[in-house]
Amino acid sequence: MAKRPSRLKSTRANSLPALLGAIRPRLFAFLLDWTSWGYVAYAVMFLINRYWFVRYVNFYGTLTLPTWGWPLVVLSTLELVVLSHAFGHSIGLSLFGLKLLTYSHRFPTAWDRISRYLWWHAAVLLLPVSLWRSGRECFLLHDVRSKTCMVPLAEVKDELPVTRPRPWYLTNRGLMAVALIGLTFWVGWQATQINLERLFSRAPKSAYLWKALVTPDFKHLAMPDPELKDSIMGGMLESIFMALLATIFGGLIAFPLSFLGARNIMGFSPLGWLIFTLARAFFNIFRSIESILWAVVFAVWVGFGPFAGVLALTIHTIAALGKLYSEQVESIDPGPLEAIAATGARRWQVVLYGVIPQIIPSYLAFSLYRWDINVRMSTVIALVGGGGIGRILFYYKGQVGRLSNAWNQVGAVVVAIVAVIWLLDYISGRVREKII
Amino acid sequence: MADHLVVEHLTKVYERGDVIALDDISFSVKKDEFLVLIGLSGSGKSTLLRCINRLIEPTAGKVYFDGIDVTAASSRELRQLRRRMAMIFQQFNLVKRSSVLTNVLSGRLGYVNPWLSAAHQFPPSEIKMAMANLERVGIPEQAYKRADELSGGQQQRVGIARALMQTPELLMADEPVSALDPATSHSVMQYLEVMNKEDGVTVIASLHFLSLARRYGTRILALKDGKIVYEGLPSEIDEARFKEIYGEEAEQVEVH
Repeated sequence: MAKRPSRLKSTRANSLPALLGAIRPRLFAFLLDWTSWGYVAYAVMFLINRYWFVRYVNFYGTLTLPTWGWPLVVLSTLELVVLSHAFGHSIGLSLFGLKLLTYSHRFPTAWDRISRYLWWHAAVLLLPVSLWRSGRECFLLHDVRSKTCMVPLAEVKDELPVTRPRPWYLTNRGLMAVALIGLTFWVGWQATQINLERLFSRAPKSAYLWKALVTPDFKHLAMPDPELKDSIMGGMLESIFMALLATIFGGLIAFPLSFLGARNIMGFSPLGWLIFTLARAFFNIFRSIESILWAVVFAVWVGFGPFAGVLALTIHTIAALGKLYSEQVESIDPGPLEAIAATGARRWQVVLYGVIPQIIPSYLAFSLYRWDINVRMSTVIALVGGGGIGRILFYYKGQVGRLSNAWNQVGAVVVAIVAVIWLLDYISGRVREKII
Repeated sequence: MADHLVVEHLTKVYERGDVIALDDISFSVKKDEFLVLIGLSGSGKSTLLRCINRLIEPTAGKVYFDGIDVTAASSRELRQLRRRMAMIFQQFNLVKRSSVLTNVLSGRLGYVNPWLSAAHQFPPSEIKMAMANLERVGIPEQAYKRADELSGGQQQRVGIARALMQTPELLMADEPVSALDPATSHSVMQYLEVMNKEDGVTVIASLHFLSLARRYGTRILALKDGKIVYEGLPSEIDEARFKEIYGEEAEQVEVH
């Protein structure tokens, strides 16, 4: 049989970014696998502690290890990653489409793999040197010594022998996924202290509460409660208006910001990239802080009441709508933009005439949807002094023990909330259908 | 006659995937010519057209339009140059939710007062011009409809009307009839022919069908893998040349 020539790309990555770009899949696969093995190690330690000995679990049930424990975990998971990479099976490799092959694109022998595994330990020490010296991704020490390399699967797909695909649950990836999900479920069950026995045996204790909730007392639906000086409908209207104003303010501010957070508008210049990243970071950070936390801030700032609630909802709305809007901007048809730019129009004219007509309907739809969400959110905001229907709800809940029908009043508020949300949901759904 | 457009050693390399879309292309177009670009899909026709008005930034090479270096133009100069070179597209590239009239008027954005355009206002003279151009492409009655309510052929005519608004000296047509049926194709091509012959607009059109290229082109430029493989008169493309451009397995398909 004729000797197959080496098919390795011999192009030299001539700059550091190019080189890093070339080895990026290898690097990412490595880090991902290390993380997953680390997670497995954590889960296993958690379960061992839970079931067999409690030596390393402190009083609060948190896992602690002796000082030598953590380096041991880090190193052993590292070894597992290197081993699984040398034997060509791991989540990272399959996710980043890498395949371990010899220089002539054959499957490596067991000896190649063992040699690669062993040489890796020397290679990792020499990594910066060999990258700098060779400037090629497949010329790291363990690549050279074992004459194998991680090859992007897409490049070699046609050369590999065709095999009948196995069902997904019998593939390495599938088995790994099933094992990880099972392990996670097991750990999660333990960590959250799920107790089904208690769920059923203690059910009768809540019977009186259910009974009161399903026999709501609508005495103060429209007529103000003299002690609270407000009615359920009054609170409901307050909530609806809070949500409406927050949506309008949020939408108006998110509208211009959404262009800054859209890749296709900002382009690929360094400045554009910076603004894009900042805008997206702003959306993500502010969206991940719940409005109830903003309500705490604004209740201190402007005092208790619906105004604090509006501000809290507005902040969250800006971030949430900003992200949704920018994704809409990114998904528009680029053709018209190209056509308008080709007429000699300025950049902002392209946005005005090409982008905005395409996004207006979905902007309206998203804003309506957001109004919905804001009404729902305004119920909990009252917990920290944000005003709205939640204020009525938590007032009656606080009267439990003082008023005999407190839970019935809570029931009435809940019924009112459900009715309004359901109605709003229905209306906004119909309107959205019309405009999209 | 003087060269209207000169392309020198134009090269475009797409960084992602190391694709060489255009490989050292040089040619020139004379005033009033109807140059047809032919070649397989992916041969670089669209990229070439977009590199001329820098919708795509070329990697190397020069483009001179009317003696002005397009590749060296500042963004302001580029806008001035783009006003003089109109473009129509395979997928028409209309703003589907806007009215036909707005789409046509958007061809004038490079000329009008930017403050007025920011308020979506156009002077009456511009609106009159837009209506006249719609009349010219035979669809004045569609002016107030939404662009996506029109048929494919009508949409391409809106595209042509938008191009006419620029009172262009050069028209670039990127596979203007590929999405249309044969009968509509000819009617659209005839508008291009009229612009070329009556208005004296230089036309560069990329076309899929050789029969259309022969019928409308005054000169043909064939691309293959980003290189020019043939340059000459339409009548000189024989069977051998055809196979050279389109590959051994290709058969000629006629559009009547």
